[in-house]
Amino acid sequence: MSKLRILRAAIPVLLLFALLLLVGCQTDSPQNTFAPKGYPADKQRDLFMLVMWPAVVILILVEGAIVVALWRFRRRRNSERPKQLHGNPRLELAWTIAPALLLASLAVPTLATIADLAENPGPNALQVDVIARQWSWEFRYPDLKDSKGQPISSLNELHIPVDRKIHASVVSNDIIHSFWIPRLGGKIDAVPGRTNHLTFSAYEADTYAGECAEFCGLGHALMKLTVVAQPQDEFDAWVRQKQAAVSSEPGGAVVAAVEAGHGN
Amino acid sequence: MATEYYEQQPVGVGDALRSLRHEAANYRGILSWLATVDHKRIGMMYGVTAFLFFLVGGIEALVIRSQLATPNGSVVNAEQYNQLFTMHGTTMIFMVVMPLSSAFFNLLIPLMIGARDVAFPRLNAFSYWVFLVGALFLNFGWVTGDVPDAGWFGYANLTTKAFSPGHGVDFWLFGLQIMGVASMAAGFNFIVTILNMRAPGMTMFRLPVFVWMTLVTSFLAVLAFPLITVGLFQLFFDRFFAANFFEPVAGGDPLLWQHMFWLFGHPEVYILILPAMGIVSEVLPTFSRKPLFGYPFVVFSGIAIGFMGFGVWAHHMFTVGLGSVANSAFAVSTMLIAVPTGVKIFNWLGTLWGGSISLKPPLLFAVGFIAMFTIGGLTGVTHAVVPSDYQQQDSYYIVAHFHQVLFGGAIFGLFAGVYYWFPKFIGKMLNEKLGIIHFVLMFIGFNLTFQPMMILGLMGMPRRIYTYSEGYGWDLWNMIATAGAFMIAASILVFIINVIVSLNRGEKASADPWDGRTLEWSLPSPVPPYNFAEIPHVQALDDFWHHKYAEDEEGRPLPVVVGAAEEPHEVDVHSIHMPSPSLFPLISSLGFPTIGFGFLYETALVPVGVAILLFGIYGWAIEPAAE
Repeated sequence: MSKLRILRAAIPVLLLFALLLLVGCQTDSPQNTFAPKGYPADKQRDLFMLVMWPAVVILILVEGAIVVALWRFRRRRNSERPKQLHGNPRLELAWTIAPALLLASLAVPTLATIADLAENPGPNALQVDVIARQWSWEFRYPDLKDSKGQPISSLNELHIPVDRKIHASVVSNDIIHSFWIPRLGGKIDAVPGRTNHLTFSAYEADTYAGECAEFCGLGHALMKLTVVAQPQDEFDAWVRQKQAAVSSEPGGAVVAAVEAGHGN
Repeated sequence: MATEYYEQQPVGVGDALRSLRHEAANYRGILSWLATVDHKRIGMMYGVTAFLFFLVGGIEALVIRSQLATPNGSVVNAEQYNQLFTMHGTTMIFMVVMPLSSAFFNLLIPLMIGARDVAFPRLNAFSYWVFLVGALFLNFGWVTGDVPDAGWFGYANLTTKAFSPGHGVDFWLFGLQIMGVASMAAGFNFIVTILNMRAPGMTMFRLPVFVWMTLVTSFLAVLAFPLITVGLFQLFFDRFFAANFFEPVAGGDPLLWQHMFWLFGHPEVYILILPAMGIVSEVLPTFSRKPLFGYPFVVFSGIAIGFMGFGVWAHHMFTVGLGSVANSAFAVSTMLIAVPTGVKIFNWLGTLWGGSISLKPPLLFAVGFIAMFTIGGLTGVTHAVVPSDYQQQDSYYIVAHFHQVLFGGAIFGLFAGVYYWFPKFIGKMLNEKLGIIHFVLMFIGFNLTFQPMMILGLMGMPRRIYTYSEGYGWDLWNMIATAGAFMIAASILVFIINVIVSLNRGEKASADPWDGRTLEWSLPSPVPPYNFAEIPHVQALDDFWHHKYAEDEEGRPLPVVVGAAEEPHEVDVHSIHMPSPSLFPLISSLGFPTIGFGFLYETALVPVGVAILLFGIYGWAIEPAAE
């Protein structure tokens, strides 16, 4: 029976993919959500794993049951017409309640984590304003001002100190975008007319790739950003350089020099 | 009576209509199709049209996959890519899966409930023509160069005049609006048909599950489409009359669109999947020779899905910043909807278990549905876990998920239906070997295409990007996905060959080639225009099966001696009155695109379109429904 051979072949294909999925997740790639290097990307990965494993078990059970049923109950030449079984309310009630219980148990950590991630990071967090527009990212540091009293800013490259909570306030200048840094903190949409917040941090000094995740027209695929996570002293040096860069403009030099002199 | 009544009408119009009517009754060839109100013919037109659009949407998908096969692809540019994915999504949802489902509603509902036609045959024809002109209108951008390019979801405020100045979005919004009319009309028609046209004894709990799912789907269509209609009108006003519903600068809110769209859009997902679930629920019992396991559970879970489908829309919006309370509520409601979905899967397994399973193409596609839809359901639960969805949202993981549901689910289920009912309406069997080749190619191709997308999404590949660079670890998986897509295309080619071969040299189909259980198998293949020479009296669920088999003490079926159960009556089929054909549904439908073109190009066309519409409705209203 070639049909049966085909069916039996189909399931290993599925299992192979499950395996590949796991293998694929280990390979190094700059936006791999399975290789988190920050908060809350690690929590998000853990939560995904918590759901994935029961899901994989259920998948194997269901697909397995299909294969077994097709093999065991295939029609043979001498097959009799089967008993006309109309159902089994007790069994059906069981497979209604069991998934409900499983889902309820998944709902608990889900709700807890939703609340955790929404918590205000407190006054020690570094405030960054993320301004999205077609098709670039501007990052402003409202608490880090240059000599003119303007917040320092950068384009498409977000510098942050390692191990410090970053409180990003995300806005848009034109249409909806989405601020996504997979290895650090998931994503939050930039919606014109409102301010959204994302708290995240990097555990290791490194550069992390991110990009716009909401379709925003012609340049959507090119709306990328880089997060540069640095040790505190390197970050401070970068801030000073940014502050000084403005000072080279006419009129700003003296003030900047004074501020630099204060060891700011 | 009828003649007297019409003699009182003003001579001109009444006479003209009647002579037109007489002519219509004698239509041959193409005209007979343009004027048909026969639900079977309308069903076939829905099916053929949807399949042609399936090829269009499929070609769009192949170009998309060719572009993404390698990093820095150069098959299309960003603008063309945006047009392709917008049209692929819009086409597959509104012009393929919905009308293919409609094809089955049309073909089967009257037969399954023991009726001679739907409740409103001309409204039924109107639904089809409006759908067709809407679909053509939406695709008209390919001719003028203004192809919709803001996504099938048309998120505001990208769709406002400032950011989408061309006519692309206009074709999209009027096209959807027009097709919405068709869906609503069809929804009402099938609700009334199922509630009012059932044969004597066909109680609600003797209805085949497919009829139940059609009823739920029809209610969903009637309740959900008004939401998108209002949203599209708001967009229309924003774009044409500078209203500011979605304009943040003027105090509008682009998120309003997302709420309107998904409040429609999530029930829409169930509009797409419930008919296929109904088909699977018919195919499995026939090919297992066992009744559906737990009929009441399957029916009630379908109804539950219908209700709950309206309470989960914001899971499409977990990252827009609705806040913890809203996200938590929608996480729980989304998890809850997995319960009735799971019940269906388990009950289908229960139907297979202990049966005598015949591995024919309809069953293979139905089992393919269960196998793939299960993945779709499970990945759906992973989205309900909100914090992990903060990563998945708008990534290829989502693309993988909904293709498991809409292709692995709906398309596999619909193909099961095609193989199952083709002989009933065409009178020829589809070739079994080619059917199996089609299934195997499509099943493997499907897995090759969409399972790698899960990996891609979790590796951080966003949706709707026309290009990507090397070094992200995405290259291999994209290449596999593209290879899989071409394998699916090959499987569709096999299907087309199968249809051509079977139409020409196919084995003649008997009335009941699969040993079926529902009423349509009691009729000759192909079904005569009047369906039932005599309206059946229904005594049980799976009535036709019980006419063929009695049960012994153990519940095993024993064949009934033919002719022993009942005596066939002699019926004069010429005495059966069927609704007369009419051209007015087609004429009225032409008003809609005329209005659309009017708003796009020349305002003077708007009143012309309205006049056509009113003329069609007027003629329709005063022409006699049956001669």
